[in-house]
Amino acid sequence: MTQNTSLPISRRGFIGGGAVAISAAGLNARAEAAPASAVDQNAPHRANVRFTLNGRSRELTADTRLTLLDALRGPLALPGTKKGCDHGQCGACTVHIDGSRHLACFTLVAGLEGREVTTIEGLAEGDKLHPMQQAFIDNDAFQCGYCTPGQIMSAVACVKEGHARTDTEIREYMSGNICRCSAYPNIVAAVKQARGKI
Amino acid sequence: MMAEATPPVPEPGENMGKPLPRYEARAKVTGEPLYADDLQLPNPAIALFVTSGIARGRILQIDTAAADALPGVLKIYTHLNAPRREVTKHYTEGGYVSDSAVPLGGPDIVNDGQIVAVVVAEDFATARDAAHRIAIRYEERSPSATFGSAGAATIQPDALAAKSKKAGDFAGAYAAAPVKIDAEYSTPTMHHNPIELFSTAAAWNGERLTVHEPSQFVWQLKNGVASALGIDPENVEVRDPFVGGAFGSKGMMTQRSPLIAAIARDLRRPIRNVVLRDQGFTLATYRAETRHRLQLGATRDGKLTALSHEGWEVTSRQDDYSVAGIEATTEMYACPNIASKVSLVKADRNTPGFMRSPPETPYMYALEAAMDEMAAALAMDPVEFRRINDTKVSPVTGAPYTSRSLMECYDRAAATFGWNRRKAEPMATREGDWLIGYGCATACYPTSMMAATARAILTPSGRVEIQIAAHDVGTGAYTAMQQIAARELGVDPRMVSVRMGDTAYPPGPVAGGSMTTASAGSAVKLVCDKLKQRLGGALPSGRELEQAFDRLGTRRIEEYAEWTPPGQGKEAVQALYKGQMGGGGGAEGGKPKPLMYAFGAEFAEVRIHRLTREIRVPRLTGAFAGGHIVNPRTARSQYLGGMIWGLGQALLEQTELDELRGRYINDNLAEYLVAVNADVPEVDIIMVPEVDSQVNPLGVKGIGELANVGTAAAIANAVYNATGKRIRDLPVTMDKLLDVPA
Ligand code: FES
Ligand code: FES
Repeated sequence: MTQNTSLPISRRGFIGGGAVAISAAGLNARAEAAPASAVDQNAPHRANVRFTLNGRSRELTADTRLTLLDALRGPLALPGTKKGCDHGQCGACTVHIDGSRHLACFTLVAGLEGREVTTIEGLAEGDKLHPMQQAFIDNDAFQCGYCTPGQIMSAVACVKEGHARTDTEIREYMSGNICRCSAYPNIVAAVKQARGKI
Repeated sequence: MMAEATPPVPEPGENMGKPLPRYEARAKVTGEPLYADDLQLPNPAIALFVTSGIARGRILQIDTAAADALPGVLKIYTHLNAPRREVTKHYTEGGYVSDSAVPLGGPDIVNDGQIVAVVVAEDFATARDAAHRIAIRYEERSPSATFGSAGAATIQPDALAAKSKKAGDFAGAYAAAPVKIDAEYSTPTMHHNPIELFSTAAAWNGERLTVHEPSQFVWQLKNGVASALGIDPENVEVRDPFVGGAFGSKGMMTQRSPLIAAIARDLRRPIRNVVLRDQGFTLATYRAETRHRLQLGATRDGKLTALSHEGWEVTSRQDDYSVAGIEATTEMYACPNIASKVSLVKADRNTPGFMRSPPETPYMYALEAAMDEMAAALAMDPVEFRRINDTKVSPVTGAPYTSRSLMECYDRAAATFGWNRRKAEPMATREGDWLIGYGCATACYPTSMMAATARAILTPSGRVEIQIAAHDVGTGAYTAMQQIAARELGVDPRMVSVRMGDTAYPPGPVAGGSMTTASAGSAVKLVCDKLKQRLGGALPSGRELEQAFDRLGTRRIEEYAEWTPPGQGKEAVQALYKGQMGGGGGAEGGKPKPLMYAFGAEFAEVRIHRLTREIRVPRLTGAFAGGHIVNPRTARSQYLGGMIWGLGQALLEQTELDELRGRYINDNLAEYLVAVNADVPEVDIIMVPEVDSQVNPLGVKGIGELANVGTAAAIANAVYNATGKRIRDLPVTMDKLLDVPA
C-alpha cells in the first residue's frame, strides 16, 4: 500500500461501490480518502459459504473481501499455502479447486460455494506421500522450500493437464511458479519421475 | 560430454560426505508450519504499512478519519502518535539496524516507500481497505536518485580508503604496457526478492516479548529489538525455525521489527505484519547499482603487468554502506603493479545491504569481463590467458592461498562443456537463424568464519539433540549439522535431531558470508567431541550406553561448547551473545592470513536470434572446488541455484529507477524479472574434489555464494563471442543488441 501524492478525484469515489475485485486491484492507485458518506457505501459485507476443504466440508461466514489465501493462512489455520506476492505473480499460493490449479490469492472465499479445494496439506494420503511429494524429495527439488507447496500443486496439475510430456513442456507449464532459490532443473527431474505414477 | 556432470543426487567424490536427503524434506513437501508467519499467535491483530509515494519532502497533512471510521480498524499510527523507540546505530557502526532512518520518527520523507502510517485492524482485508482511505498531502522536493543526479555527493570515507589495495607502480607499468584495456562497466540495482515475504509477528506476555520473523541472525534480532525498545535482551525471544529464502535481505534487523513490537505493547495485543511485495523493495535492503573502471596492461605473451580497479557504489544519505569488492579483484591474478579505489555516491535512497556475494558479484563481473577483453586483444584463448596469470599467492601482500584449484576447475568444466569447439572469432558460429557464442569466467568466494556456540543432549536411547541458533535459509544447514554430528559421534544420522533458528538455543553465526557450515559446523563438532570425552572418548552403543548413563547416575548428558575461529578470542563469543559480528568474519571482518578462497570456473553458451535478438542460454557448465563437501546433494543445489542467479543477473534482473522521482518502477515479481523454469534449460555442475586442512578443522570453505559470481561475465563474454559486441552494462537485453548486423 503506497500513498502517492494526492489527486483531486477520489478513485474510490469514482468507482463507487464497485466490485470487490476492482477495489483490490486499486491498491497502488493514487488514492485519497472517500468522503464520509461513501464509507457506508463501501462498508464490509459478509457471506455464508459452504465448500469442501481437503475432503472435509467447511462452512464459513466470510468477509466478501477475504481471499482464499488469507483464509487458509488465518482462520482456517492451514499455512502450508504460501503468500509470495498476493498479486498472482509468483505461484506460491497454488491450490487445486475442483481438481485444477488456481491461485488462492486471486480467489475470494465468497465465490467458493459448493467447490472442492485441495491444499498441500491434503495431498498425501495419511502417511503415504503423493508420488510428486516423494519425487521432490528424491530430486532435491527445493532449497528453502517456500515455493514448494505451490510447485507441487502446480506439478500435479501439470501432469494431469497432459503438459508434462517433454522437458520443454514441463519448463513452460511450470513457469508460473517462481523459485527464487532456483531449483528448476531438479523440479523438472521430479516431475519426470512422478509423471508416470499419477 | 555429459559424463562428468552431476545428477540431482550426485555420487560423492573424494573428500565429500553422503548425499543424504534434506533433514526437513518431508516437512517441506507436506506444508508443515515451518516459517515465521506460519507460526500461530493467539488472536492477533493485523498491521499493514502505508508507505510514502514520494522520495523526498515532508508530510503536510495526514487524514485518517475515513480509515478510522471503518468497522474493524483498531488504531492508525502516524508520526504524530507513533510509539517511541530508542535510536540505534547502523550495524556497521556498532548498532543493530540496516538503515538508521527511523520510520514514523517525524514528518520528513527521506526516501521512496518509507513507512508513513501503520493501520492495525482485525483482519487483513479491513486493514487494506482502511489503508486506501488515508489521504496524505506532501510538500515534495526533488530527490537525488542515483549516479549523476543533481545533489548526489561522491565521497570516499576513511574506512573505504583504507581498503584500497596497491602494489608496485601501476601508473608507470600501465603506461609502458604493450597491450592495454581501459573499459567501464556497470551493474544495476537488484533486489533479493526471496519468495517468503518479510514479516514480523510480536506478542507480549508481561515483560516478555516473543517475535516471529524471518531472520538470518536471530540473536542479532533479539538484541536489536531490545536495544530499540530499551528493554533487557533477556526478555526477548525470537523464533524462526526455517527461512523461506533470504540471500542477505533478512540478515540485519530493519526498523520494522521494533516498530511492530512497540505497537503490540501499545495495543496489548499480538500483532502480525506481512510486508507486501512492493513494500519489500524499500523496507529492506538491496544491492545498490555500481560502476567500474578497469585498466589492464599486459605483455604480448599474455602476462598481466598492470591492473587498476576503480569502483563507485550508491548508498543512502544516512549510512555509508559499501561492498568494496576490490579486495577480491586485486588478488585474483598474478600482477606486479596494482591500484584500486572505491567511492560512494550519496543519494536519497534507503540504505543498501548485502545480497548474495555482495562484493564479488559486481566487482568480479567487471574484472572477468575485462579479462575477456584483454584475452581478445592478445588473440589468446581466455582459459589460457587465466592459466598464464594464475597465482598461488596474493599479488598484493605475497600471502599464500591455503589452496586454489582454479585451473583444475577450468580444465574439468572446459572438457565437459566442449570449449574446444569454440571459434575465437566473433560471429563465426551459426545455426540457422541463431548466432552462437561461448564464454567463460572465474568464480571465487572468500572463506570467512565467525564464532559459534552449540549444545548437545544425549539420552540413554542413543538419541542426540543438537541445539544451535544458526539458520537454514535453504542451504541445507540442518542436514549439514546432522551429518557433522553423526560423523563425529559415529552414530546413524537418524539418531541426531537438530534445533536451530530460535534464541532458546545458543547463538550461531549469521547465515551470511557463506559461514554457516564452517562456523556452526565447527561448534557442533566441538560439542560432540566434548560429549564423547564425557563417555571415555567414544559413544558406546546399546546396552553399554545405558550402563554408562547408570554409572553417571543421570538420564541426560548435556554439553555446551564455544568455538572461535583462529585468531579470535573470547570477545568473539561475547559479541555473538550480543548479536554482533564483532571480531568475526563476514564481509566486514578482518581477513585472516593466509588467503582462503573457494574457486570455480563457469562456461556459458548463448544463442542470439539473428532477427529478433532474443537471447537464450541453452547451456551452463560450472566446476567448483570448496574444500570438504559435507553433503554433495545440497551442495550441488547451492551451485545450481547460484548459477541460475548469475543467469538472471546477466540477462534479466534490474530494479528500474525513475530518476526524476527517485522511485522504483518495477517493484513486483511480474516486472522485476527473475529466471523462471523456461529460462533454464541445462546446467551442468561439477564438484572438483579439494582438500584444505588449513581453513578450519572441518576443511570446509563456504560455497553458498560462490556460484553466482562469474556467471554474468561468462554470459556477457559469450554474447561478445556470438555477436562481436561488448555489452558492459548489465543486464544484457535485446535492445542493447539492436545494432548487431543481421
Ligand atoms: S501469492 Fe498468489 S501468486 Fe503469488
Ligand atoms: S525453494 Fe526457495 S523459492 Fe523455491
